[in-house]
Amino acid sequence: MPQPCDVTAAPIPPRRIRTGEVFMTVANTDVNCASILSAALLERGFSPFFGTPCGILAPLYTQLECQGGLWTVSREDNAVGVAAGAAMAGRSPVVLMQNSGLGQSVNAIASLVVPYGIPMLLIVSMRGIAPDFTTENGVMGRLTEPLLNDSGIPTVRLDAASVIQQVEWGRSFVVERRLPAALLVPPALFGWQA
Amino acid sequence: MNKTAAIREVIGATVDEPIVFTTGYSCRVARSISDRPNHFYMTGSMGLAASIGVGIALSSALPVVVVDGDGSLAMNPGCLLTAGAMPNIPLLHLVLDDGLYESTGGQGVPSQRVDFTALARAAGYREVSRADNLSTFGKLLKKLLEKCSTPTFVHCVLTSREMTEPPPRIETDLYQHHLRFSQHLNRVNPELQ
Repeated sequence: MPQPCDVTAAPIPPRRIRTGEVFMTVANTDVNCASILSAALLERGFSPFFGTPCGILAPLYTQLECQGGLWTVSREDNAVGVAAGAAMAGRSPVVLMQNSGLGQSVNAIASLVVPYGIPMLLIVSMRGIAPDFTTENGVMGRLTEPLLNDSGIPTVRLDAASVIQQVEWGRSFVVERRLPAALLVPPALFGWQA
Repeated sequence: MNKTAAIREVIGATVDEPIVFTTGYSCRVARSISDRPNHFYMTGSMGLAASIGVGIALSSALPVVVVDGDGSLAMNPGCLLTAGAMPNIPLLHLVLDDGLYESTGGQGVPSQRVDFTALARAAGYREVSRADNLSTFGKLLKKLLEKCSTPTFVHCVLTSREMTEPPPRIETDLYQHHLRFSQHLNRVNPELQ
């Protein structure tokens, strides 16, 4: 478990580094959004946090590691399994993953989370949608929402202006009604660039 | 020692400890021996029993028993890394190894050249044992359950086949099953008292 650290020292994705003024403006906004999201999750009773790293999620990942503690699990379906155990022990866990890892997790979702009705919040980054046009991610980009929704897991696409209300939506499912739900992270939300 | 005898030994050695039984015949056999609220029957998600056990152990501080299989471990050896990364959780991970995918028709598991105990140790499990008879297995269980405070692995080598037809499928409502198990954890979890 990482030790509490200085959140102001959270690393900014190197691809954002440009000239002084632009760097400061954009990077602060990105870190702020991740910081607001991280704080909103912690304030609303979510924990523990599990995740498999993803470039899009990196600013949020860092914030959570600093503010709340986050366990890195080497494959996403194992993270879903660990979260299922934590949820059955009464917690309201969160799993951070890229949507490629959602592909790895289909059976865990289809045969464990949904049929047993195990509460957890999935925070899934969306590779393969604009502005990410990488060919290898396009299929999961198209499948992410229908896959989750058709499995019976409701989704919301995060947007910077509504992060707090959207976390509150997640809380109403996971913490209050003890059901699974997913927040989807568009590539640019925390400043990711192709 | 066959699978039923090993599972009977696990059930006899435990009282309140949460036990996660892997998919296939293990959860069916367990339920037919004794259907207790501390049992979690993982009817799908092959390979994830130990990961579920890790989450329970991490969140409750209760010693958690996982009854896994060799086919399941071969499908998801990454579960060893997940548990091995958390040296302070009380997890007793038992792998009942009959060398077969029994519930799918008895096909062989391609693990003859795999040393499961070496894998567990290399992944970070602090305690690793092997048992190939019921008496050794029973004594090990008793000893390990008394002071389980770290990921602990037991490779349980099954030397004989089942003598009877497999018990029926788990037809309980899975959501209700989750609730029963969850309520049990709430009742016995020292961190919630």
